[in-house]
Formats: sequence, structure tokens, C-alpha cells
Amino acid sequence: MANIQQTQAFYSLTLESSSAPTAAVTCNAIPGLKNQDQQIFEARGQRLYLHRIIESEGRTEVKVSTVVEQDAFGIIRGVTAFRIPGTPTDQLIVSSDSGRLTMLNYDHAKNSFKRVHLETFGKSGVRRTVPGQYLASDPRGRCCMLASAEKNKVVYIVNRNSEGAIMISSPHEANQWASLCFAVCALDTGWEHPIFAALEVNYTDSEGDPSGDMYEQREKLLVYYTVDLGLNHVVRSWSDSVDYTANMIFGVPGGQDGPSGVIVCCEDRIYYRHDKSNPLCIPIPRRRGPTEDPNRKRCIISHCLHLSKARHEFFFLVQTEDGDVFKLNLEMGEDAQGRKTAQPERMTLKYYETFPIAKQMLLIRKGYIYIAAENGNSKLYHVNDLAEDPEVEPENNFSSDDVSADPAADYTPTYFQPRGLTFTSLAHDVASQHPLMRTKVDNLTGEDAPQIYAIQGTGNRSVFKTIRHGLETQEIVSSPLGNVPFDNLWSLRHRSSDEFHSYLLLSSSYGDKTIVLSIGDEVETAEDTTFLTNRATVTAQQMGDATLVQVHARGVHSILESGAINEWPAPAHRTIVAASANSRQLLLGLSSSELAFFFMGDDGVLNQLEEMPEMSGKVTALSVGATPRGQQQAKFAVVGCDDCTIRVLSIELDSPLEPKSVQALSAIPTSIEVVSQVDPASGTAVSYVHIGLQSGLYLRALIDEVTGELGEVRTKFLGARATRLFPVDVAEQEAVLACSSRPWLGYNHPQSGLHTLTPLVIAGGQQELEAARPFASEHLKGLCAIQGQNLLIFGIPSIEGRLSREEVGLRYTPRGMARHPWAPVWYVVQSEGNALSQATKQGLLPSSSTTAAAAAADGDGTAMDEDSADPEELEKHLGLSRAPGHWASCIQAIDPIDRKAATSTVELEDNEAALCVAVVAFESRNWEVYLAVGTGQHLRPGVVGTTGAEPKGFVHIYKLVEEGRGMEFVHKTPFDAPIYAIMPFHGRLAVGVGNELFVYDLGIKALLRKSRGTVVPNMITSLESQGNRIICGDVSESVTYVVYKPKHNRMIGFVDDTIQRWTTATTMVDYETVAGGDKFGNLWVVRCPEQASKESDEEGIGGYIVNERSYLNGAPYRLELRSHFFTQDIPMSVQRTALVAGGQEVLFWAGLQGTLGMLAPFVSREDVEFFGQLESQMRAEDAPLAGRDHLMYRGYYVPVKGVIDGDLCERFLRLGVDQKRKIAAEVEREVREIERKVQEMRTRVAF
Amino acid sequence: MADKLRTQQQLESLQNKYIGTGHADTTKHEWTSNIARDSYASYQGHPPLLHYMSIGMGVPTERVRMMCMEKMVLPVGPAPVVED
Repeated sequence: MANIQQTQAFYSLTLESSSAPTAAVTCNAIPGLKNQDQQIFEARGQRLYLHRIIESEGRTEVKVSTVVEQDAFGIIRGVTAFRIPGTPTDQLIVSSDSGRLTMLNYDHAKNSFKRVHLETFGKSGVRRTVPGQYLASDPRGRCCMLASAEKNKVVYIVNRNSEGAIMISSPHEANQWASLCFAVCALDTGWEHPIFAALEVNYTDSEGDPSGDMYEQREKLLVYYTVDLGLNHVVRSWSDSVDYTANMIFGVPGGQDGPSGVIVCCEDRIYYRHDKSNPLCIPIPRRRGPTEDPNRKRCIISHCLHLSKARHEFFFLVQTEDGDVFKLNLEMGEDAQGRKTAQPERMTLKYYETFPIAKQMLLIRKGYIYIAAENGNSKLYHVNDLAEDPEVEPENNFSSDDVSADPAADYTPTYFQPRGLTFTSLAHDVASQHPLMRTKVDNLTGEDAPQIYAIQGTGNRSVFKTIRHGLETQEIVSSPLGNVPFDNLWSLRHRSSDEFHSYLLLSSSYGDKTIVLSIGDEVETAEDTTFLTNRATVTAQQMGDATLVQVHARGVHSILESGAINEWPAPAHRTIVAASANSRQLLLGLSSSELAFFFMGDDGVLNQLEEMPEMSGKVTALSVGATPRGQQQAKFAVVGCDDCTIRVLSIELDSPLEPKSVQALSAIPTSIEVVSQVDPASGTAVSYVHIGLQSGLYLRALIDEVTGELGEVRTKFLGARATRLFPVDVAEQEAVLACSSRPWLGYNHPQSGLHTLTPLVIAGGQQELEAARPFASEHLKGLCAIQGQNLLIFGIPSIEGRLSREEVGLRYTPRGMARHPWAPVWYVVQSEGNALSQATKQGLLPSSSTTAAAAAADGDGTAMDEDSADPEELEKHLGLSRAPGHWASCIQAIDPIDRKAATSTVELEDNEAALCVAVVAFESRNWEVYLAVGTGQHLRPGVVGTTGAEPKGFVHIYKLVEEGRGMEFVHKTPFDAPIYAIMPFHGRLAVGVGNELFVYDLGIKALLRKSRGTVVPNMITSLESQGNRIICGDVSESVTYVVYKPKHNRMIGFVDDTIQRWTTATTMVDYETVAGGDKFGNLWVVRCPEQASKESDEEGIGGYIVNERSYLNGAPYRLELRSHFFTQDIPMSVQRTALVAGGQEVLFWAGLQGTLGMLAPFVSREDVEFFGQLESQMRAEDAPLAGRDHLMYRGYYVPVKGVIDGDLCERFLRLGVDQKRKIAAEVEREVREIERKVQEMRTRVAF
Repeated sequence: MADKLRTQQQLESLQNKYIGTGHADTTKHEWTSNIARDSYASYQGHPPLLHYMSIGMGVPTERVRMMCMEKMVLPVGPAPVVED
């Protein structure tokens, strides 16, 4: 069958991958590193990462740097690492939805993960009885267990054979019918038979008993599964009932290190259990404080173990759901001689710190704690003190003495006072984007590329983010230069062997002058130099050993080491228009289109070549490459002329200025730089010519070392201004800074190895740079630049990320955002479940507020300030006060541009939660702008049953004042159900209430109902409109198209969908088409059939559409599916927008776990065919790492349609040469051509 | 007759291997319990879905996972009384 797409196809690309960790583990996977230097193996979304902790000397700067990341194209559910005895590095094990166990190694040479074993044990997909949900590995590296939520468990035994290869056994099953598994862990048994422990509940009895008594009597069992290595099987060796609320277990060190056994974490209590010891129990301390419920029970959500094998000492860190971390110790009993026995006698807990809620907490032997945060940024803390001294904070010590280990027995709860960081300090913050609640691409600042505005986070750590494509820069010095506009600068060393720069030359062609600054302890004007200052400088360069060369329009001024000055005057009636030099060669372009070439001998004197060849047009730019290391001269120079050509000339002494090749351009070149950069594929340095054009285009081409031919041309539009180029050094590599309407840095990305062009984001102010050069002095190293009227010295802290983010703090979990029609202000509605509202909290804290007020009245300012600043910080650190059934909610106006803060806040009361927001201009009020907020009252998500008040809804109306920065309450209107969707519609307000759609107008005391229609089956969660057509997204039944008939005031649903889609986000791509996402992680594009569309827009109500009969209990017509794609992450926003300056529009989407992605429409059918072929080749050649079938994965719920996976196509760039050639032969293209096409698909429309 | 027996045996082995394989006398309760258990297992197995729920409910994912696990014990309530 011909592979021809009948309809529009899309190219799916991930712009920023998911940042939400699923699982993480410490490991020693990189060979040759010290045991202490542990790495972090982390799974985020569908990708696997290996991170390292890099410390600067003296630990002043610490960062978590990614060594390798790889897309696994599967749902990763668990990771673990273990060391098989006798092997040099850890094996990494991944459990995914592939029904297979994946064992990986880190391949140091290729810097990638290498698959060692792939063992199939079940069907693919996330299923109830296919193991993969739980993963545990024996601490001694002998076996690992995978378990499913119900019934199945499978154990693999691994060992090393005499050749050093890793052998894996066939699977050993340990299945138990009708038993649910709540948790699995491995026991540390020393070198005895490995044991796995599981928490299990058997439901056979509960299910069979109609009275429900057996359900009440159900038991949770702690079960030991012993792996008999001799007999090669797994037996259920011991089981005992535990506290029914148990949710987590983890093994206690055994053998020589400890007593073995397991810690069982339950609600409010922690137990120690083992078949050979007596149980112990300790209550989890609860928070004390006026706003804390003294009866609320916490459970443990994450833990980590510290084990010192040398000293046989260990402790655990356990984290409660509030984020409080306790240190858990086991104390051994002593026998008659005072020797320690293997019988634990007591457990102690000590309050250690409060950290963000962790998905996984990792203790790293170098002395760090890594928090893979469930929400918000992951953090690395430096451990200053392990709180080993019981005398420090004795009130925070708790012990298991006098607590009965019987779950039914009573116990007295213990309390503690949480506080700020004491024993640790924050070392590094890993920028993350999860949970990403909503995004909107908009251009509020008038930059050439739009910004992404996002609301992110949960609780009081939520933020409003402005995300830009660009590298962050750090301003070090910015000093004004006066009102002469300078247009170029050079930083020069005094001698070629110097480490630091000594001079900074600034040139102004407008003022025809140059100023010289000396760089020392300070940068100051140098008076006593012999540089020419009454002319503009064309170029300046330190040449030879210690000669300084300054080229100006009338000649070349060189200052020898002795201080003597040589002047070469330009030939009569000619001026120098362009010049370029390296340490030996100098090339000048004269106004007569002639070139003059000089070579510097060892005496530091410039010798001119007599020949002065004439170019075809006026020389506009030229460049000689930097002198290669260990050589005397560079091979090629590139000269650009105003006839839109560039010429490559040889500048070697034996064939000087011999033309090699010519290339035509689309515009006049304004700047040329020849830079030798490392080619990531081969690892050798090759020469690239970078060309900036007057049209703002930037080109990069490879110069063939032998022939001088140009090849592999890549183009990118940078901005509206002519592009000027400056070679710089960034992060120990040669890079190019391209200045157009904003500065761009071209560099090889440290992870992908690809040449990447990323704009620089200059904090605070003018984005435009005139010129930039490297800058190195004794105290700082970075770049210096001319920014308008200022001299700017700045650094680029990291080139790893590609996005820069600015944040404004919010109060609660954000739920929706809307923008003011013209002012740069956003309105963010926030609500937090199970949290005390501001008003309730104030009620509980009467004393503190009155004392604060009294202190303020006294005018006792200084003492007050410290007190009042602290509690806010502390509350931010500790999190909101929790209380089941309560809601805290507020509406904030955010100004992210000027004030970078919330400009006004409205707190909601009466257990209301703001859910959605819209800015509406009411026609009846002469198009005055109001803010409408839909809320829910007494919401109980996840709770089924009828206790308490029924959920209700309100719509609040606020008048916008002070250019949108202020909000004034007008009125609120009650509704029967919570409001999840609200939208301006023809100068009125459309509101979705349950399954009904209403149109309201603004009244004096309340909203006035104008129209009503029942249009969707369940509940409206999103609204979109164009003209009279409204698209309603239903919570579970996809979208319905509704037409509003204004004359008859009726709303008629006319098209709905055949598939139940649990819609989370929708957008209208055009009048007929809707793109959206659902809760299961699908992206889809659906389109209205032509006939239905026509009928719906017929004049009047008498038309066909009203009388059309309902088809199968739905609307008369059904939508056509155009595209469908599984992304794994839940799309929360979909938007049709352009992402880069001059780029075509794409479907941009943002996922809950922090993914930013896009669907770019294909322009030509040839491209669809080509990428389709490439994708299918890639599927075969580069099968996903975790063993999932790629096509099955992308068609997880619905077969993938009309979408080509760009992430898979981009893997082509990372393949080896042989594989690349093989695929290229299959698709009948050149390797280079495929690479160019794949890269262009991204750079054309996105970043 | 032998064929019938074999079919019977095959069915039984299937039912043993795959939970939820129905038989002629599958009750509504068994059927719905099975679907609910499958759903709860799926919620836990898809990390984004669990994350989504935890944000909606304002509790950590581990709590939501516990709720899902607990619901799997008796997802649709006790079986109705069988009348003989």
C-alpha cells in the first residue's frame, strides 16, 4: 500500500522534556570514579538520566550536571542499581511498561546507556497482573524482584561468569492468587539466601462475603519470599499481620552491619519487624502549632538509608507527607558482657529538617541529600551536621520506649515544632517545570520571539513563570560610556603568553575615535598607551609574541615590544574597510576592492605581500581563522563582497591569496568569522565559516581542509538587524556570538553534542548588543560587550539548559490564568485542597496578629521587621497548614514585566476554591472590562459518597482598575455545581455548569441569564469559540460543537465524538478543527464534517440542523479524527502559535509533568514521505531502550495517526556512522542531507 | 465429549493465568469489580495520571497510590446476597 497521507500530517517534537521524577537511585555507574563520588540515576517521564554532582574547589559551587540522557520511549515505572560481586560498576535496572526487565550499563566511550539484558516476563502495557509496578534488588547484587499490583511476582537471579559477562537466570515466579501487593523491598541478609519482603492483602474472603464483615476483618500481611540460590526457586517463607495502614517497607542492614529485618511505615506509626526479633514501634511525631490539627495522622512517603560499611553503622532518613524529615535509628540490645547483640531494643526518631516532598530522597556519600521533588524544583542539600549529638535540640528526640508494638494498642502521640533549615544548606536547585498547570504563549514585551507564560507548582511554592528560549547571563559589571555610540570593542593581551587581558579598545566609527581601557584590578581609562585614539579602529589584535596591531581606516599601527611604533599607511586614495588578523597573519580589505596581506615574522614586524588581488565587488567583511595550535599560519581566509558572494582564499605563504572557492549568498555579508570547532561526530577540530548577513540571517558552513570548498550549510534567521559575529570562549569551547536584534550563542551542546544556536537573555533591559568579546582578568572571566551606552561585563553560568526562567511567587496551587486585553497583567486563580484558608488561619492566630499590630502601633520598627519577615519565610519553607476538607483560595493580578510581583490579591472565604478565570468586556457596559472567576464550594475531589454539604459553584465578578493591576469586587452569583469553564462570548459571559452551557450578561446585583442549553453528557471542562460556534470539552466524552443562534437564542450541539476523551485542554485550530489533549496523555486533532459545518451555519432556526435526529444518543453528526498521538504526559494547554521570530505557526502544547512540545505541520508531501520512511527505519535500527515497541507506545490508547515522531527521528543524529549510513541507504539519501533535514525541522519553527 | 473437556480445561487454565477471564456464570459484581481493579491498577501504573490526581486532591502521590491500592480490595462494595 502506498504510504500516502490523505490529510495534514504533523511532526511531533519535544522542546523541553518532562522534569517530574518517577524514580531515582544512587549508583556508581561511571567506571574509574571513586566510590564516594556517587551518581544519580533518575527516570523522568519517558527519559532516563544519569547525573553527577560536580563540586568546584572548596565546595563553593556545587551543581548537578547531567552526564547522559536518553529517551526510552516507554513508561518508566521504577529504577534500581546494584553491584554484582566482582564487577567494576553498578548495573542499572529499569522496569517499564514493556513487560520486560531492562538491565543497562553506562558506556563511557560512547557516553550512552548500553543494554546488557532484556528479559521478557509478561505482556506489554501497564496491567494489573504484569510485574513492573514494584522493583527491588538485593543489596548484595544477587537478584532482583519485580511485582505487580496484584498476584504476580517474578525474581531474576544474576551473576557473573568466569569471562566477566553478566548472566541472568530464567524468571522464578512467586504468584499468589487474589493477593494485592502494597509494597516490596529487599532484605539485607548478608550472604545468606536473599529475601524479599512484601506487604500483601488477600481479598478472597472480603469479596465472597455479602455482609461485609470479612472486609472489616481483612488483614495486611508482611510476607517474606526467600530466594533459594541452591535450589533455584522462590518460596514464601514467613508471613505475619501488620498494622493495616502500612504503606511502605524498607530493609534494615543485615549481616555484619545490622540486625536485618524491615521497617514498616504505617499511618502515624513506624514499626520494626523481623521473623527473628521482637517488633518495635514508634509513633511519627506530629506538628505542633496553633494552625495544626493535633489529631491529623501522617504517613511516610520517602526514605533513604545511610550505611557505613566500615563502621557497621547505619541510620535512615524518613520523610512524612508534610515534608518533615526524621532521622531513624535502631539501637541494639547488649548481652551480659556488654557486647552488642543482633536484637534491636529501641528505635529513636529525631526531627532533622523539613524538605520539599520527595518522590525519592537520596543520601549521597559525598555529604549531600538529593530531593527528587514531587512538585517543583528538585534540590540538592549539603549536609553540615548529621544531628548525631543528642544534646542538640533534645526536645526533638523521640524513642520507642514504652510504646506497644501491637497495632491495636493505644499510644500517646508525640509533637514537635518544625523549623527552618539547621543541619543542612541548599547547595543546588535543579530547574524544573512540573507540575505545569497552564501555559500561554504571548508577546508582552515586544521582543522578536514570544515568551511562554506559565503557572506552575503546588502549595505556597507555586510560581508564575516567564519562560524564554535563551541562556541566562549573569551581569558582573555595567558601566556607562557616555553619549558617544561605540560600535566595536577588542580585548587584548599584552603578550601572547599572558593569561589575562590587559587592554580593552572601544571604537566609535560615528565619533571617529577609539578609547583604550586598561584591565587590572579595575578597568579604567589608560592615558599612557601609544594606541591611536583619534581614529576609529577597524580591528585590533595582539600578534606575534608581543606586538599590538591596531588597524584603522588610514593604515596599520603596530606597537612593538620595545615600544617602537611601525606605521603602514594605506595606499593613496584608498582606505581600509575591513580587516582581520590572527597571531601571524593580517588581511586587509581596501576601499578599492583590493586585498592586502601581511605576514609577521619572528621579529614582530609585518611584511606585506606585494600582490594585491582585486575582488569582484566591494569588500564588506573578511576573516582569517585563528592560528591553529602548534602551527605558524592558518590555511584559509574568507572574504565577503557586496555582490553577495564569499570567496575562500588560501593564505598559506606558498600560495598566498590563491582563490579556492566561491559561494553565492542571499544578501550582503556583514560579518565573517572562521572558527575551528570540534566536530562532535569525529571529535576532531574542523574549520567552520560563520557568516552574518545584512538581512539578519546567519549561515554556518564547513570548509573542506584540502580543497577549501564550502559544504554543510546551515541557515538561521536571527533577527531584524544585520548580523555581526564575534568568536568567544564559553565553557572551555570555541563558540560564536552572533549579534542581531538580540545576541545568540552558537556552541556545541554538552549533552547532545549538536551545534546549537541559543539566544542570550540579558537580565533587565536592553537585549541588543553591539559587540562582544572574551574578557579575562585576574578576578573575573566572562565576556565584555557594548550594550547601547554601557560597557557590560557578564558571564554565562551554564550552557546546559536552553530556557531561561523568571518567577513570581504565588500563594496556592494555580488553576487558571487569563490576560488583560491590553495591559501586561495576568490574573491567576489559585486554590489549595486540604489547606486552611487565610481567614481561618487568622482566626486561629489571634494573639500573634494583635501583638504584631500592637508592635506596629508602638513604632518599634526594627525588632518588628525581623519578626515579621521570618514567619513568612518559615511558612514558605514548611508548607501550608493542612486540614482535611478545607480549601484555601485566592485570585492574584500578576505583573511579570514591570513590577515582577503580584499587584493585588483577593482571598476567597467560605471554603470556596477558584477554578477558572476569564477577562470579559461586557457589551451592555459599553465594553468595559471585568474579570470573571468561576469557583467551587465544598469540593471533595476523590471522595465518593454523600457526607457534608453538596459542592456548589459561584461566579465572581471583579472590576479591573488601575490599568488592570487592581481588582474591585462587584458581585457573585450562585450556581448548583462548581464552575470549571468560563469564556467571554459576544460581549457576554459563557459559563459551563455541570452539563449545561449558559450565556450570562452583567446585572447590578448578579449575572443575568440570557441563554441556556444542555449540550454535553457530563460536565463542561473547557470552552472555546469562533463566531457563533462554541466548542465544549466534556470531562470524559471529548468535545461537542455547539452553534449559537442569536435570533432565536438557542444553543444546539451538532457534532460530537466517537471516542471518550477525558478532555483536559482544547484549542480551535481553525473554524472546523479542534486540537486537544486528554488525561491519559493523548494529543488529538478532530475535524467537523463538511456537511455538518455547512448546515450549522445556515440562516435561521428553521434549517435542517435543528430538526436533525440525534444519532445513537448523541449529536446528529460525528467528528472525524485527523491526528492522534500518545505523549505520556498529560497535555494541560494546547495553543496554535508561532514560537520563534519569523517562524511558521505550530501547535504548541504543555504537559503536567513539565513537557513543552509541539506539533509542526508538514509543508510538503515529500517531507511527510521522507520522515515517514526515516521513522520506520529508526524504529528498526534504534529500537527503544526499555524494549517497548515504538509504534505500540505512540499508539497506546488509539493507533497513532497523522503524526511522525520527531524525537525518534532526532535520535538519528546520535547514531554511529555505520547505522547512519545504513539508514541513509535505505531511504536513498545522503547522511548529511538527512541530518540537515532533521535539524531544519526543528530550527525552522522552534528551538 | 473429550473436546468439551479439553475446552473446559483450557478455559480453566486461562482463568487461572489471567484474572478477569469470564465464564458463563460471571456475575455483575465480579465483572464490575474486575473493571474497577484494572482501573485502579492503571492509575498507579501511569505516573502522570497519579500526579494529576494528587494535585487535584491536594495530597502527595504516595497517599493517592495508597487509596488506589486500598480501593482494589473491595472496589464496588460487598457482593450481593445470592438467593438459592
